Amino acid sequence: MTTPPAARLGNITKSFGRFPALSGASLEVRSGEIHGLLGENGAGKSTLLSIFGGRLRPDAGSLEIRGTRTEFGTPGDAAAQGIGMVHQHFALVPAFTVLENLALGYRSSRSRWTLPIPDLRDRAARLQAETGLRVPLEASVERLGVGDRQRVEILKALLIDPSIILLDEPTAVLAPSEVDTLFGLLDRLRAQGRAIVLVAHKLDEILGVVDRVTVLRRGRTVLTAGRDEVDGPALVRAMVGEGPVADPAVPDIPRPRGGRVPPGEVVVSLEGAPTSGLNGPLEIRRGEIVGIAGIEGNGQGSLAMALAGRSRPPGTRVRLPAHLGFIPQDRTRSGLAGSMSLVENLALALHRDPAYRTSRPGLPSLLRWSALRERAGELMERYGVSGPGLDAPVAALSGGNQQRVVVAREMALARDVLVAENPTRGLDVASTTFVHQQIQSLSSTGDRPPGVVLISTDLDEIMALAHRIFTIVRGSLREVPRDARSREEIGGLMLSGVEAV
Amino acid sequence: MRARPFIAIMGNPWVSGATALALTGLVAAASLWLGGFDPLAAFASLVRGSLGSPGAFLSITLVRAVPLILTGLAVGVAFRAGVWNIGAEGQLYAGAVAAVWAGLHFGTLPAALLVPLVLCASALGGVIWILVPAFLRIRMGVGEVITTILMNFLGIHLAAWMVRGPLQEPRGIFPQTESIPLSAQLPVLFPGTRLHLGFPLAMGLAVLAWGFYRWTVAGFRASAVGASEEVARVAGAMDVNRVLTGTFLASGALAGLAGGVEVAGVTFALYEGLSPGWGYTAIAVALLAGLHPLGIVGAGVLFGALEGGAGAMQRNAGIPSAWVSAVEAMVILSLLAVGVASRSRTAGPPTTANESGGIVAGTGGSDEDPGHA
Repeated sequence: MTTPPAARLGNITKSFGRFPALSGASLEVRSGEIHGLLGENGAGKSTLLSIFGGRLRPDAGSLEIRGTRTEFGTPGDAAAQGIGMVHQHFALVPAFTVLENLALGYRSSRSRWTLPIPDLRDRAARLQAETGLRVPLEASVERLGVGDRQRVEILKALLIDPSIILLDEPTAVLAPSEVDTLFGLLDRLRAQGRAIVLVAHKLDEILGVVDRVTVLRRGRTVLTAGRDEVDGPALVRAMVGEGPVADPAVPDIPRPRGGRVPPGEVVVSLEGAPTSGLNGPLEIRRGEIVGIAGIEGNGQGSLAMALAGRSRPPGTRVRLPAHLGFIPQDRTRSGLAGSMSLVENLALALHRDPAYRTSRPGLPSLLRWSALRERAGELMERYGVSGPGLDAPVAALSGGNQQRVVVAREMALARDVLVAENPTRGLDVASTTFVHQQIQSLSSTGDRPPGVVLISTDLDEIMALAHRIFTIVRGSLREVPRDARSREEIGGLMLSGVEAV
Repeated sequence: MRARPFIAIMGNPWVSGATALALTGLVAAASLWLGGFDPLAAFASLVRGSLGSPGAFLSITLVRAVPLILTGLAVGVAFRAGVWNIGAEGQLYAGAVAAVWAGLHFGTLPAALLVPLVLCASALGGVIWILVPAFLRIRMGVGEVITTILMNFLGIHLAAWMVRGPLQEPRGIFPQTESIPLSAQLPVLFPGTRLHLGFPLAMGLAVLAWGFYRWTVAGFRASAVGASEEVARVAGAMDVNRVLTGTFLASGALAGLAGGVEVAGVTFALYEGLSPGWGYTAIAVALLAGLHPLGIVGAGVLFGALEGGAGAMQRNAGIPSAWVSAVEAMVILSLLAVGVASRSRTAGPPTTANESGGIVAGTGGSDEDPGHA
C-alpha cells in the first residue's frame, strides 16, 4: 500500500449509559471504492457512521484521515475534512425550499451576513448537471417524495465536495427503480475517486455495487473483505454469528427443543394480510413461546399492536383472550408515563381489573389505591425494582428498572397471553438475562400457563427462547421449518425474504 | 401536531407556588417603587380593600373569586388531560348569553326551577362554544390552542351583538339586556352582603373535581391521557378520544357556568365587557394551583382579592387598577421562572419532559401522590 486509505477508524468504543453500542469497531475506506457496512439491527452501524460524521463522540478510538491522525470533532469539523453525510432520517426542514435547505450549514466565501442563495443556485445547478440529481430547487421539501428528499440530502452532502461520503441506509426508503438510480450515481461518484461508505441490511441489494465490505456484530468489526473474497452465506454467518455461540447477551438457559410445541388451548388467533404466507391463521397456544424474527421496519409494530388488541389494521381479524399483557418496544414513549408515579403506572394497566376498583350502581367506579399500592410493592420486590419508591415519578428510575416495571406489570396481566416487542432492547446483560428468565418461567409455570409472542429483531433472543419461529418480511409472516432452525437459515430469511442469499 | 407553548416541570407545587408568589411580590413592589409609589402603602390599601372588613371580604373578594374559580376549574380540568383550552373567556360569554336568554324566556317559572334551568343553560352555552375546537382537535388533529383562542373573539362579539340586537333591553337605548327576573337570580347567602349561591356552588364543584381525580377510574384516565396520550393508548389500552371528548365538554361547561353564575348572581343582565378577562386570568389561577382543584379555589380567592382590592388601591394610593393585571401576568412569569429553575436543578431524562409536556405541568399525578396511602 503506497497511498494511505481515505480514512481509518480504529478500535472505536461507545456506550449509551450502560449499554455498549460499539466495543472495538474498526473501519477502513479507500478512495475510489464503495464500501459496504453490514450488520444486524443494533450491531452499531448507525452509531459508527455517526461518529465518523462527527455527530457523536466516541468514548475511545482513533481516526486517521488520509494517513494523518485526527481528532474526532463536530459535524462542521468532519465537513471541513471532506466528510459528507447522508442521514437515514433526513435532516431537512420540511417547510424550507430545496435551496434553503442546501443553505443550511453552507458557508459562502462571499459574505458572512447574507444568505448565499444566488451563489448556491449556481453551484446546485452545476452539481445537478454533473450528477443527474434532478430536484426542483425552488420546491418546498414537504412537497417532495422520499426519493427526491434523499436526492436533496445527497446534493447537500456533495456541496462541500467531499472526498468521503457516508450514506446511512439510503435504500431503506427507496423503490427498486430508485435504488438502481442511486447506485448508478454512486458508481459515478466512485469513478471521481471519492470514498463511499454504504450502510445497508438488505444484503442481496448492495452486493452488486460494493467493492469491499465490513461486517459489524454486536458492536465489533468481525469481518473486512473484498467483495470477491466472500459470498452471501459467508456474510450472513458473519452478521448473525455461527452456531450456538455462548454469547454474553444471551443467558445460559435451557433451550426449547425446536418444534416440540407444548400442547395447550389456542389463546390467540390472527387471520388476514400478515398470515397470507401461512397455511391458516397464526395461532398461539398456552405454554408456548412463538418467536417472530425480522429486520426492523418490516411491520412488527403494527403486528404487535394488532396482537395486543390496541389497533385493528384493516383486513386483519384477531381473536384475543381476556387477560393479555403487552410489553411495547418503546417503554419511554408508550410503556410508562414518566411524570406519573410507579403506583400510577401500574394502575395504567390494572385499572380495568375488577379487583382494583369498587363499583356501586349509580356511582362512578373508584380505584382502590390501597390495593394497587400493595400490589405495586409486592411486584417491585418480586421483580427486584430498585428506585426512589412507589410515589416517585418513574422517570427517576434507571432504564433497566423502568423495563422491569413494564415487565412486572404486563406479566401480572398476562394470564392468557403475553405479547412482547423487543423486550430487551437497550438493556444491559443482567437485565436482559432477567427478562429472558421471566418470559421462560411465565410460559412454563402453573397449570394453565399463558402463551407468549416474542417479536424481536435480535435473532439470538428468538433462537434461545422460542418453540416456534416465524419470520416477518414486509408485514408478511413465514414459518421457519423445524429442520431449518439455524442462524444462517433464519438470518437469510430475515434479511431478504428468500431462502438462498 | 399539538401546540405546546412552553413546558415546565415543577417539583412540589406548594413550594413552587409559594416561591412564585414571593417573586411576584418582589417584582410588583419594585415596579411600584420605580413608578414613584410607596409599595407598602399600596399593599396596605390593597389588603384593606379586599380583606380589611368582613364586608369587603365577602362582598368584594369572594364575589370576585367565583368566576375565577369556575373558569380556573375549566382550565384546570382541560390542562390535566392535556387539552389546552385557552377559550374559557369565549365560553364564559356564550354561557352568559344562554343564561340571560333562559332567564328572560322562562321568566314565569318559579325560582326552584328557573335557577337550575339558567345555570344548566349557561353550562350548555359553554359546551356549544367548545364543540368546534373539540371536533377539530379530536377528529382532524387541529391544535385547540389556536381554535379556542379564535372562538374567544366570536364569543365576545356574540355577546356584543346580542345586547344590541336580539336581546337588547326593550327601550333599545342601552347596549345591554333587560334584567332577569328575581326568580332567576341566585339567592344571597348572608343578608347585607353580595355573596351569592355561586360561591358554595364553585366550592362544591372544586371538591367534586378533587374527588374525581383522586378516586375515580375516569379521573385517573384523564390524568393518564394528560401525562401521555401514547402511553394511555398503548399501555393503558384507553379510548383516548373518549377521554378527550369528556374533557372538552366538562371544561366548556365549567367556563359557561362561570358566565351564568356571574349574570345570575351579580349583574342580572348581560352587557359588553361583562368579564374583565376572567377566562384568561383563569389560566394563571389554574397554573398557580398546579392544576389542583382545591388549590384553584385558593388561587381564585387570592386573585379575587387582588382584583377586588385594586379599586381601593386606586382611590387611596392613586395607583391605576390596571397595575393589578400586570401583577397577574407577573404570577405566570414567576411560575415559569421557578419551573425552569427547579427543572434545571433536578434535571431528569429529557424524554420525560417531552412526553408530559404541559404548559406548566405540576400535572399528571405527582401532585396528588401523597394521598394514595
